[in-house]
Amino acid sequence: LKGYWQYFLKKLAWFLVTLIAAFVLNFILPRLMPGDPVAVITQRVTQGMQSATGIQRIYEEYSNLFGTNRPMIEQFFLYVRNVFQGEFGFSFSFYPRQVADVIKSSIGWTIALQFPAIIVGWLIGNTLGALAAYLKGGFDKVIMPVSIFVSNFPAFGMAVILLVIFGITLKWFPISGGYGFDLIPSMSWKFIWSVIVHYQLPFWSIVLIAIGGQAIGMRSMSIYELNADYVKYSRFLGIKDRKIIGYVFRNAMLPQVTGLALSIGTMVGGALVAEIIFSYPGLGNTILKGVMGQDYPLISATTLIVTLMVLSANFIIEIIYGLIDPRIKATQAD
Amino acid sequence: MSKKIVLVVGIFVIATMILSSCAPKAVATLTPDEIAAVAAALPRNETLYFNGQQWGAVVGWNPYSSNNNNALVVAQQDSARVTVFETPYIYNMLDGQVYPLLADGPYTWNADMTEITFKINPAAKWSDGTAVTADDVAYTWDTNVKYETSAGTGNVDYIDSITAVDKHTVSVKAKLNEDGTAVNPLLVSAYISSNYVIQKAWTQKLEERSGYDATALKADTAEDFVASGPYTKFYVDETKVVLIRDDNYWGQDASLWGKLPVPKYLAHNIFADNDAGFAALKAGEVDVSQQFNANIQTLWLDDGLPISTYLPDAPYGIGASLPTAFYNLNSYGLDQLAVRKAIAYAVDYDTIIANAMTNQSATFTQVPRSLMNPTPGEQALYDHAAVASLQWAGSDVAGANAILDDAGIVDTDGDGWRELDGVKLSYVATCPNGWSDWQAAMEIVAAAGAGIGIEITTNYPEWDVYQTVVTKSDSPLPAGYDIFMMWSDGAGPTQPWGRIRHLISSEFVGMASNWNGNWGGYANPDADALIQAIPGMSDPVELKAAYTELVRIYLTDIPSFTLMYRPQSFHAVNESVWTNFPRSDDGTNPPVPPLDLTDGYSIAGLYNLELVNP
Repeated sequence: LKGYWQYFLKKLAWFLVTLIAAFVLNFILPRLMPGDPVAVITQRVTQGMQSATGIQRIYEEYSNLFGTNRPMIEQFFLYVRNVFQGEFGFSFSFYPRQVADVIKSSIGWTIALQFPAIIVGWLIGNTLGALAAYLKGGFDKVIMPVSIFVSNFPAFGMAVILLVIFGITLKWFPISGGYGFDLIPSMSWKFIWSVIVHYQLPFWSIVLIAIGGQAIGMRSMSIYELNADYVKYSRFLGIKDRKIIGYVFRNAMLPQVTGLALSIGTMVGGALVAEIIFSYPGLGNTILKGVMGQDYPLISATTLIVTLMVLSANFIIEIIYGLIDPRIKATQAD
Repeated sequence: MSKKIVLVVGIFVIATMILSSCAPKAVATLTPDEIAAVAAALPRNETLYFNGQQWGAVVGWNPYSSNNNNALVVAQQDSARVTVFETPYIYNMLDGQVYPLLADGPYTWNADMTEITFKINPAAKWSDGTAVTADDVAYTWDTNVKYETSAGTGNVDYIDSITAVDKHTVSVKAKLNEDGTAVNPLLVSAYISSNYVIQKAWTQKLEERSGYDATALKADTAEDFVASGPYTKFYVDETKVVLIRDDNYWGQDASLWGKLPVPKYLAHNIFADNDAGFAALKAGEVDVSQQFNANIQTLWLDDGLPISTYLPDAPYGIGASLPTAFYNLNSYGLDQLAVRKAIAYAVDYDTIIANAMTNQSATFTQVPRSLMNPTPGEQALYDHAAVASLQWAGSDVAGANAILDDAGIVDTDGDGWRELDGVKLSYVATCPNGWSDWQAAMEIVAAAGAGIGIEITTNYPEWDVYQTVVTKSDSPLPAGYDIFMMWSDGAGPTQPWGRIRHLISSEFVGMASNWNGNWGGYANPDADALIQAIPGMSDPVELKAAYTELVRIYLTDIPSFTLMYRPQSFHAVNESVWTNFPRSDDGTNPPVPPLDLTDGYSIAGLYNLELVNP
């Protein structure tokens, strides 16, 4: 067990070092963008104002309020304090809303769109990949090229194709919004049905691309496993195919699980493309607005969340791997 | 895969979808009864849908704040948005007049033009049923000043005080110069048509809960606001905002409209971009579109949709602002009038209007260039004949070449480009990246250079960078900003004075953050003196002479040049559900301007709407 502790502590140390580095970068990078966010806000709030000195006063008021006129190092400690208090201060572009509030109101949509899409894409993709490897022949000859073709679609391409075919030409699904343009959220069937219908295009635009990538990975892993000695030996022993497939599937699954965890980690970054093309509310849209408006606190907060999720997902996987696969622990601890 | 897993995943997917639909309820403002009342759907025949105004979720409802991002509700501007909060007067950009809203009858100046007096309509009521009084007007002003709101900071240099003479009479006193004249009477009168009256009792409540702190007061989201307008908050989430008519609205009194506005709900779905909004307009999910829809005429000519604009033919709307190319007068050679004039003469404006605006702008043959927008009110303010010889329409390459040749600016080294004192004339034309209509215009400006032997290339920095550079007027513009585009003021009670001031007044040169104008650094004492004098002028003849002289100076010195005319608001309507929208030939008197039925006098349009299928 001593070896494992060593492995764990080493991983933990790396986790912390990466986190601190990422934390500092999350603060600095947005602020290195050229341009002045307070000038943008001043422009927005003083439209049509005739008093030149009045505009100047408003500019100074916002510089003071957001602290952009203070030295960078001072701003950094302010940021650290805010983060440890669990808030990220005022959002520049959504002022006077707090960053935490902005994120809270859009993260629900993102998770609701991304999480099921990732899971469904993963399940379907892996099933198809495993079947292709096992059945070979015609099935594989169709699945493989189609998967490669589909997985290489850029996300916006897939979204636009679905939008044009199923939204505009066939008119099967609505093309924008989270629910009907004339509805108010309520627990009625009409509303729930509207949500389900509006959900389809953004959902499948993410799922279809995920399926291709997962199927390719799973197929390769399965082919490798199917040729492994233990499969051949099991066949000699006369073990039923069904049982063997179970083993193969489980072994081939390991790297795919890692991929799944990482996808879930990056999920909160939002399905930017789907959100924009289908006018679907979500964190991707929010981050984009933050970047466009040079909303430092919002950019720092969202990137920090993404960083934390990815690092944590990675860390947890490594810890679990250490537990379930002694070889990893042994090599790492040396 | 076992059936169990499929079942679990299926349930999970449906559960998340339903949960997602419930997420926005956290910010919803509905009671269960209200939801039941609309049975989950807004009746299409009672709802007027908008696009192009609200981008991103609503932040607040606070009339003292400039950060509400609440496009249907709060906009204190030249044509103030009066759906929920109301101003004493409303401005009509078509005839340049103001009409009483909360006020009773026209306002009057005293003989010295230092004080305005007006009455509040005795019928005016707040949504809580109490009367709107002169005291509310006075307290609103005091609050604006005390807490340094935009309305306060923007007007405190011109307005000395606003007081209640009696329950219904308001006195607005101007700030005075040393000689006893008002600093700027124009801005004093503009205040009462561009700024809301807010209830004193509610303001005091707001002050109390924000601890009398300016930042807290302006950051309050004011969900509990009290207003006097025809609509109020109904529902808001990340995807839409809906207002509902207040059926007790005081304006149904015979002294104002005599009835309620027709649509029961005003709704604005939030679209990610113009394309999504355009698709919704085509689908009949939007009735009033305030966004740039390229080639709008194809919607009725090719697609046969019941969509129309204010004017049946190009330019389809009324231009109000003048997107302008500024010369950086510190760039080498641009201090020479001949160079500025030659470039401005050579530009092909018709192509700019056809490409960048898809003909949704009047041409310079239809409305010759001046400092005025194409509205009849402004066009009447200058003597057209007096400046006719100075008004160029563009594409005059031969004329431009002659100007340069006469000035001795010729190609001396035979490389095809002209030199000034041996140095080649080479410029960069620029505007923000992604502003496609502006970029198209800059490309045509650059093309004009090639025809007259002046090298003009284009460069498009990101908006964040661009605006920071252009608005920093206390240091010279860096390389790459020789010819650059910015906007000018639209239509309003202070126009065209405000626009002219922003285009050519030298008072903005040297400001650390110049969001006003004259970014090229032009200075002309004669122009400055006229700009200073105009607000105090009341004689129409004197005023016309002053404006004509300013146009003459502008078209002679050419410190910048207008590239196209742009409407105050885009205004296209889909008549699948509603009809009788404002139109150039609708016979309304006073004419209802095409400002989306929400701004200034265009609110009158809401009372004229009819259903296509009642």
